[in-house]
Amino acid sequence: MLGLRGMSADSLRALLGSTGRMLAHASYPGDVLETLAGRTVATVFFENSTRTRGSFTLAAQRLGAGVVDFSNANSTAKGESLADTVRTVSAMGVDAIVVRSSRSGASICAAAATQVPVLNGGDGCHEHPTQGLLDAFTLCEAIGRLDGFDLSGVRVAIVGDVLHSRVARSGAAALQSLGATVELVGPGPLVPESMGALLNDAGSIERDFDAAIGRADAVMMLRVQFERGAAVASTYRERYALTRERALRLREGAVVMHPGPMNVGMEIDAEVADGSGLARGARSLVLRQVAVGVAVRMAALEWCLGGVGACRP
Amino acid sequence: MPHHASPAIPLLIKGGRLIDPATGTDATLDVAIGADGRVDAIGPDLPELPDGRTIDASGLIVAPGLIDPHVHLREPGGEHKETIRSGTAAALAGGFTTVCCMPNTTPALDSPRVLADLAERCQRTAQCRVYPVAAGSIGRKGEQPAPIQALAAGGAVGISDDGDAIADPALMAHVLAQTAKANLAFMQHCQDPTITVGSSMHDGEVSTRLGLVGWPRHAEEVIIERDIALVEQTGCSYHVQHISSAGSVELVRAARARGLPVTAEASPHHLMLTHEACEGFNTLAKMNPPLREQSDVESIRQAVVEGVITVLATDHAPHAKHEKEQPFEDAPFGIIGLETALPLYAEALVHTGLIDWPRLIALLTVEPARLCRLERLGLGQLALGGPADITLIDADHRWTFEESQVAGRSANSPFLGRTMVGRAVASIVAGAERMDRLVAAR
Repeated sequence: MLGLRGMSADSLRALLGSTGRMLAHASYPGDVLETLAGRTVATVFFENSTRTRGSFTLAAQRLGAGVVDFSNANSTAKGESLADTVRTVSAMGVDAIVVRSSRSGASICAAAATQVPVLNGGDGCHEHPTQGLLDAFTLCEAIGRLDGFDLSGVRVAIVGDVLHSRVARSGAAALQSLGATVELVGPGPLVPESMGALLNDAGSIERDFDAAIGRADAVMMLRVQFERGAAVASTYRERYALTRERALRLREGAVVMHPGPMNVGMEIDAEVADGSGLARGARSLVLRQVAVGVAVRMAALEWCLGGVGACRP
Repeated sequence: MPHHASPAIPLLIKGGRLIDPATGTDATLDVAIGADGRVDAIGPDLPELPDGRTIDASGLIVAPGLIDPHVHLREPGGEHKETIRSGTAAALAGGFTTVCCMPNTTPALDSPRVLADLAERCQRTAQCRVYPVAAGSIGRKGEQPAPIQALAAGGAVGISDDGDAIADPALMAHVLAQTAKANLAFMQHCQDPTITVGSSMHDGEVSTRLGLVGWPRHAEEVIIERDIALVEQTGCSYHVQHISSAGSVELVRAARARGLPVTAEASPHHLMLTHEACEGFNTLAKMNPPLREQSDVESIRQAVVEGVITVLATDHAPHAKHEKEQPFEDAPFGIIGLETALPLYAEALVHTGLIDWPRLIALLTVEPARLCRLERLGLGQLALGGPADITLIDADHRWTFEESQVAGRSANSPFLGRTMVGRAVASIVAGAERMDRLVAAR
C-alpha cells in the first residue's frame, strides 16, 4: 500500500468496510483477532513518528502479529541505503514492512527493493495512505455515510500548508474518489496554483478561508511544516487559523479534523480542537481520527497480508 | 589528446553516401585511407587498395567521426560509474570518435598537473579521442579562478564548471575574460543555486503531485541573462549547455541576433522527454537541468531547425545502479547517452521532417569541432591528408536498446527497452576500425 492516488473507489470502499469491522476490536486490547497470528510486521521509520508507528504496532498486535522495530537503526547513519536496509529486513523473514521517510517516494523505492509487501507510513510530501483512509472513514462515520462510503455532495476544505502535506495529497485523492468536492485553502506560497494538479474538475483553490468555511461540510486543518521549509506571513493566523471566533462561522453540523500533530494556538485554537468552543452542532473529530487510525491500519495490514487482494493498487 | 594508438592498414570505404557538412558534400563517394590513418583520396569509384581492406558502405551514410562535446567519463574518482576505457567504448558504440570530457572528476580538472595525469590515463586506456574541458574555478567551487591560460596550454579545449554554474558574477566576468584571452569557449551549466535548493525535478504538475520541490525554468534563465550581459563586456565565446526551457531558447536567439558569440547545445533527453517521465519517482528521468514540458521540447526542436541551437551533446552521465535506486531526492542527476544519442536525435529531428541528415551530421561534427577548437586538428571534417575519423551510419537499422548490450559501465537510461531506428555500424578512428557491427547489421 504505497498511495491512494490512482487506487480505485472499489478498493477504497473495501478497505473502509474492513475498517468498520476492525473498529470494534481496535478499541479493546484484550480482544485480539488471530488473522495474522504467527506473522511478523517490521516497522522501519527513518523519520520521527509517534502516533503512526504506535498505531501500526497496535494494529499488528491486535491482529495477532508480532512486531519488530528497526526505527532509528543506525545503519543509515553508517551509510546503508534505504534499499539495502529494506533488503536486510526482508532477508530476516518478515511478512510486511511499514516504511516512513522524509523523502517523497521512499516507499516506492523500498517496494522496488523487496518482494515483501510494503506499507507507506508517510513518505516526504508525497503520500500517507493510511492517514487518508482514516480521514475518509472518520468523515463518513460522522456524517452518516458508512453505508456505501459515498461522499457525493460533501464539501471538504483542506486548509493550510497543503504544499508540504502528504496528508493532503492522500486525503484529496481518497475523498474525491469517494465523491467529495475538495477545496484547497491557503496563501499562494503554501497552496500554489499548481496544486490544482491534485484536484478533479469539481475541486478548487480558495484564498479566502471565510468564504470556504461558509460552504464546507468538513474543515481539515493542516500544520505549517516549518521543518520542510515552509514560511508564512505575520498575518497567517489572522487569515488561515481556525480560531474560536472563525469556528463560529462553521455550518450547522460541520466537522473539524486535524491529522496532528497540532500546533494549538497557531492553526487551530484549543477550544476548537477539543470541540468545547464549537456551536450549532459542529463537532471536532480530532481524537476520533486517532482511534479510527488503529482500525484503518488493521484493515491495511490484513489487506496486504491476508490475501484480501494485492498489496499494490 | 592522443587516443590509444593502433596500427592501421589501408582501408577503402566504397559506395556509401558521403556527407561532410564542412565542405557541403552529399554524394555517393569512396574514401581511401592510408596506413598512416589519414585520408588519402575521396572520389567516385576509387580503385581497390593493394594490401588493404574494403568496406562495402552501400546503403550507409559515411560521415566524419561524430563528436560529443559534453561527456562525463568519471575517471579519476568515479571509476565505479565509468572509466575512460568504458566511457570511450560507449562513445564508439554510439558512433562517436571524439568526446570532450567534463571537469567534475575527483580531483577536478583544474590544474595542468591534473590534465597531464588525465592525458596519461587516456594514452593508456582511451578507445577514442578524448579532449578535456577544464574547470573555470579551483575545485569547481566558484570561489577562486582556475589558471585558465595554463589549462589551455595544457590541452583544455573549453572551460566549464559543469555540474555547477559560476554563480558569483564578479568571478564569472573574470573567468570569461581569461577564457576569451585563451581563445576558448566558456560552457556554462546554467543553474542559479539559490533558486534550486532542494529541487529535484521541473516545477509543475508532476512535481506537485509527487510532493517534490520544483525546479523552475527561471533558475536557468537568470544565469543566461546575466551571462549575456557579461559576454557583451568580455567578448568571450559563451556556450549554454543542455538548454532546457523555451525562455532560455528565446534569450539565446536574441543574443545571437545581436551578433554576440553565444551558442547552445541540446541533449537527446531534452529533445525527447518531458517531466511526465518522472512519474512513479523514476530516477532514470532525474536530470539536471530537469526534463520540462512539451512546449519546451517543441521550442528546443524549433531552435535546432532555426540554427539557434548549433550543437548536440549527450551530457553522458553514468551512475551506478545502487546510486539510482535511492529515493528520488537522494538519487544523483543524469543518464548515460552516448549509445542511444544518434537514433534519438534522428527520431526527434530527422524522422519528424524538421531537418535532414546532412544538417544532423553538421550538428554532430563540424559544429562541435568549432565550439571546442578541434577544427585546427582537422576533426569534424574529412579533408585530404586529415585524420581519417569516420562514422558509418545505417539510417534504417531498427534495434532495441537492451541493458545486456550496454558498452559502458553503467546502464542508467530511461530508454532501456526502447526500439529505435538508425545506428552507427562502424566507428573508425585514425583509419582503424574501433567499433564494427557491419556483419551483425546486415
